[in-house]
Amino acid sequence: MQTPGTEAVRPPVAASRGVALTDAAWKWILLVPAVVVVVGLLLFPMAMTLYVSLTDWHLYAYGRPVSFVGLQNWPRVVTDITFLIPARNTVVFVLGSVPTSYLIGLSVALALNQITKGRRFFRVFFMMPLMISPVAISLVIGRMLLHESMGPINDILVRLGLPIVHWLTDPTMAMISLIIVDAWHQSAFMILMLTAGLQSLPQEPYEAATVDGAGKWQTFWYITLPLLAPVSVTALLIRSLDAFKVVDIVKVVTGGGPGTATESVTLAVYDLGVKAGDIAQGAAAAYSLLIIMMAFSAVLLLATRRWVRQAS
Amino acid sequence: MKKQGRAALVVSYAVLILWTVILFFPIYWLVITSFKTAVAVSGMPTYLPWVDFQPGLHAFEYIFVSNRNMVARPFLNSTVTALSSSAVALFIGSMAGYSLARFRFGGPGSSGIAFAFLSQRMFPTAVLIIPFLLMYRDLGLLDTRQGLAIAYCGFSVPFVVWVMRDFFLGLPVEVEESAMIDGCSRLDVLTKVVLPLSAPGLVAVFILIMIGAWNEYLFSLVLTFSEAITIPLFLQIQTQTTLGTAWWNLSAISLIAVIPVVVAGLALERYITRGLTFGAIK
Repeated sequence: MQTPGTEAVRPPVAASRGVALTDAAWKWILLVPAVVVVVGLLLFPMAMTLYVSLTDWHLYAYGRPVSFVGLQNWPRVVTDITFLIPARNTVVFVLGSVPTSYLIGLSVALALNQITKGRRFFRVFFMMPLMISPVAISLVIGRMLLHESMGPINDILVRLGLPIVHWLTDPTMAMISLIIVDAWHQSAFMILMLTAGLQSLPQEPYEAATVDGAGKWQTFWYITLPLLAPVSVTALLIRSLDAFKVVDIVKVVTGGGPGTATESVTLAVYDLGVKAGDIAQGAAAAYSLLIIMMAFSAVLLLATRRWVRQAS
Repeated sequence: MKKQGRAALVVSYAVLILWTVILFFPIYWLVITSFKTAVAVSGMPTYLPWVDFQPGLHAFEYIFVSNRNMVARPFLNSTVTALSSSAVALFIGSMAGYSLARFRFGGPGSSGIAFAFLSQRMFPTAVLIIPFLLMYRDLGLLDTRQGLAIAYCGFSVPFVVWVMRDFFLGLPVEVEESAMIDGCSRLDVLTKVVLPLSAPGLVAVFILIMIGAWNEYLFSLVLTFSEAITIPLFLQIQTQTTLGTAWWNLSAISLIAVIPVVVAGLALERYITRGLTFGAIK
């Protein structure tokens, strides 16, 4: 800001400064660099992946001309078990980890809403997982705490007289271990979203419910939960789209194993497309993940449309 | 009524304390493991320093003295790529955010354009890794910090545009208008009015994308392999060594990698909450 003294000396309009640009020019000058970055680093590569999926391009076949093969790589994505198993695993992971973190997030957010003392401490502390690297937390929970012979969890189970759990060598438990790691990490997001959602709820329905003599449980089921629908759906959608991309915790905790029991689509794209060099097939598999994610979002939004509309 | 309220309070605190313990235990384990010896890690798990095992500083000796060069490299790589990519993405993205907040756009409108930016963030990274690998191979950018920083920048820009547009919309436009009437050019307004006012938003977004780049794994896995590896990749590679994993060293490295971002994030908690939820929280 200018001091009053300098104002008078200045020419009244910016146009007289020589380099003045109109707002119409500024609008585009400010916007275009970001558009260039997004087109160059995101949209162009996505289009290139689509093109690669229609060729017989191989990463390590130097000098061999790349030829266009049409949709030849695509049927394998839905028939070959090397892609079907990761697709199934990824869907199981999403359906396991997202509702788990939602339920944790809802319980904690409701609890936070009840208390006044220590509220700020809990709120800040509960955000901490979002800053921690997924690789680091996968190491600690997945590889150390859940270690089958040296880990404290099995040790505590034994001390309590319970049988040990094969956290990483049993196919089902390996998936549950991944879900545990993800829930530890991502419930924080649900807590943040739902706490904010609870705080912005209107007061009138609650006053009416008290007048009608509704119990706490009834109030929750018939007022709180329906009113939270828009925030819940947004949170579930964001978390699900993120969970579909899972790769780092899988790579660290189970490496996709035992066998291929926890191999995710992204890990399969890396293993088969990048490491083994079959990028054409990998590109098709990557696009199948995009298609699964879009189909899932559409189903989620359609299925919850009524609840969201009722709430607003 | 009073009794019901007290019961709810007890249950609430029980839930909150339980979640605190669940969050705290892995952190506690990370800290104590970094002070453990090989003997204290293999065999039965040990829980309490000085009671169960004798803590030592050998892991930190390994990091800061004997293997300093090997460990320092990924830290340097992570620092350089995270800071440089975030700085550039912040500059480019907040310019676009300002443009979308202050000027009228036809067609989809500025909110439509902003949403188109945000939707880029939702696409799976799996569809990006193959072309990046092909392009970087031809451009000689594989296994370089510059290459990784460019990729991270591309990944951060959509998020910056979305969050900063939301932030600029919350700033009073009247201040800018009166400055223009006083004879300021748009550039003066941007640098002398908008920049100081938007500092909290800029810092928050910078922290968020910096944390994202610092913790990023997949691009690092695909695009780097020895010279430019970042901490997450370094940690993951170390767990796959056939010589037996040195958990105490890994714990100490993880701890050092985690502390700065957690401190930065929690210190600025007030400002970053909104960005963490993509502007869903006002």
